[in-house]
Amino acid sequence: MSDIDTYRATAAAWLRSVAPTFGRDARKGLSEAEDLALGRRYQRAKFDAGYAGINWPTEYGGQGLGHLEKVTFDAEEMKHGFPNFYFGISLGMPVPVLMQFGSDKEFVKERVLKALRGEEIWCQLFSEPSGGSDLAGLRTKAEPDGNGWKINGQKVWTSWAHYSDYGVIIVRTDPTVPKHKGLTYFWVDMKAPGVTVRPIRLAGGDSHVNEVFFDDVKIGDDHRMSPVGGGFAVAIATLMIERYVATDSAGFGPHLDLFVELAKNVRLNSRPAIEDGRIRQQIARNHAMRAGLDSINVRARLMMQAGMMPGPEGSLNKLVAVRSRQKLSELALDLQGSDAFPFDQHASPKEDWASSWINAPTGRIAGGSDETLLNTIAEKVLGLPQDHRPDKGIAFNQIPA
Amino acid sequence: MTILYDEGQQAIATESRRVLEARISKDALLPLLETVGDYHRPFWNIAKEQGWTALALPEPHGGLGLGLIELGLIAHQAGRSISGAPFLTSSFGAAKAIELFGSEAQKARWLPGLSSGEAIGAVAFAAGADPLPVRPDMTITGDRLDGTVRGVAAGIAADVAVVFANGPGMPVLALVDLQGAERIAVPSFDNSRLIADLRFSGVAADTLAVGSTARDAALRILALQSVVTAHEQTGGAEVLMEIARDYALTRKAFGQPIGAFQSVKHRIAELYGLVELARANCIHAAAREDAADFITAAAAARLSATEAYDTAARDCIQIHGGIGVTWEIGLHLHMRRARSLAIEQGSSLFWEDVLVDQLAGEAA
Repeated sequence: MSDIDTYRATAAAWLRSVAPTFGRDARKGLSEAEDLALGRRYQRAKFDAGYAGINWPTEYGGQGLGHLEKVTFDAEEMKHGFPNFYFGISLGMPVPVLMQFGSDKEFVKERVLKALRGEEIWCQLFSEPSGGSDLAGLRTKAEPDGNGWKINGQKVWTSWAHYSDYGVIIVRTDPTVPKHKGLTYFWVDMKAPGVTVRPIRLAGGDSHVNEVFFDDVKIGDDHRMSPVGGGFAVAIATLMIERYVATDSAGFGPHLDLFVELAKNVRLNSRPAIEDGRIRQQIARNHAMRAGLDSINVRARLMMQAGMMPGPEGSLNKLVAVRSRQKLSELALDLQGSDAFPFDQHASPKEDWASSWINAPTGRIAGGSDETLLNTIAEKVLGLPQDHRPDKGIAFNQIPA
Repeated sequence: MTILYDEGQQAIATESRRVLEARISKDALLPLLETVGDYHRPFWNIAKEQGWTALALPEPHGGLGLGLIELGLIAHQAGRSISGAPFLTSSFGAAKAIELFGSEAQKARWLPGLSSGEAIGAVAFAAGADPLPVRPDMTITGDRLDGTVRGVAAGIAADVAVVFANGPGMPVLALVDLQGAERIAVPSFDNSRLIADLRFSGVAADTLAVGSTARDAALRILALQSVVTAHEQTGGAEVLMEIARDYALTRKAFGQPIGAFQSVKHRIAELYGLVELARANCIHAAAREDAADFITAAAAARLSATEAYDTAARDCIQIHGGIGVTWEIGLHLHMRRARSLAIEQGSSLFWEDVLVDQLAGEAA
């Protein structure tokens, strides 16, 4: 066995051993508060077992291993339905950025350790009501205030802000220069006076995202994580950190096997639906697409293992997988017909077609909309021109609203 | 498990691309559309010179003993340049049937010629929409073959064919020397595929397999060929995506390159997705040649490659506007080839059923 196979086997065995305590079945019927508490205990167990911060430096409490080990562990972890999503953003982006750009090393070390143990959660305050895809168009501002800064404005779609202890935030510090150039990156204490978090209920009924309001929130200059006016570069660095994350060719919806089972069990025109050409076509097409993504992902892992940089085709995953999950979920409900109506809004989108269907639009928008991803492929991979941008080179405060 | 190409394999890709790009042009291919019975001889000469004909055939009979991965790389490049003859795939299919199911005498008779490229092979199973008919139109009695098989790629030029015929109460996979067959050339939309109907009246044929074994054997031959074709389709789709990209960068309308309009750039980005999915499935399928799930992997490769090439042909022409539909620009060469490759070895309708049978556990 290669080193990575050994690593995988060991990790899989550990995950299996804790699945009864923290996995899918242990979570059934828990309130969100109870589930979060279980999640914190699971995160602590991961830390103690050496599976937290797998590819982070050991000086910060990480394991000092590579992306490959991280992705390998994540792929195994995904199978058990652990309550780990509360920490996904926190450990995925803000905390790694803090390690990279935080100025007070002792403070950073303490925060990183607490985040790895699940004791503290960080959120990422990027999107605003006036722009999500157009990040640099943000309006929340920070003005000099004594030796520090004073923040006013509003963020939105902030995942897990209601459970967060800290957040990283990008704000406008100079409206008189073109939009990308007037931004600065800070961290904030989410419990500070003037910070108000309001959960937003999403179409599926849950509310893990929030509006966050800043009213004269005062912070010291030691919260600054970029040069003044240099915040956009750090924001981009944030988005690059987790380029090779564990992916799911099912688009975080049900596995195709579940659709095949459904088609075998349901009757259409007095025959099993699996015999219907329309259903067969969708099964075949979805399998071919998912097999392609799986193969792309395996190849990316092999490249990492060989010390090479995976190709840009990894960027297809979310685009292709989530949008086809949406259509397949619609078809699964059609197949069930009048039996499709019973609905449990807390059911897992990985196991329940209605839950997968109603939450699919979120997946196509969050973390880069389909359109943004297509632009990225067109521009960064194929070298096609940028869209026409009338606000290019114009001072932010001169852009027509 | 998929693979990364090793250095030797990467060299095959680079070298075949270099040779084909230097020596094949659309100007030589366009006139072939208007001739029935001819193919691009320089292409086949290159294939023979370079040893591509021998690549995936066994060493004891003049082959190089490599496999689908290497032949797939050649087919990918041939797809980029629009292959001038169907023989890489057709002869490979016939040769694999002989290698896997033939006698030593049959191997000795046919494999050296198929390896050198001096002999041409064909696979002649189809009856209309059914590439592997439950009741073939042809019958085999003793060692005599009767009946007609329609629309055989390479049929005009082939020396030997593998056929699927009705035997005594069960299907038979057989090998037939085409010297005794009548060939009726079929004028087609893609004439260098050398399509012919083959008519047999008491022609001597050697049985390769009988009964359900014959059907499994025939499906395996189609799947092996399909992986080669899928690489060729992916190559065609890839080059069309590049042509569309290059045109969108240079052609201007309303004061900017048309590639700056999202309706155009997103269309090309979608092609990128289709090409990469097809490529990933091709590499995987080629690496699974001897695995239990080969048919599933081949079907997935075939479906995604057909979709990629068809879509690329449609969209590349659309992005070109008026110039795209002219004879001279030759994009229709790809459009025609996309269709003939989509049909040879069975269309998507066939492979969808094969795949679902595998996934639902209903495979014979």
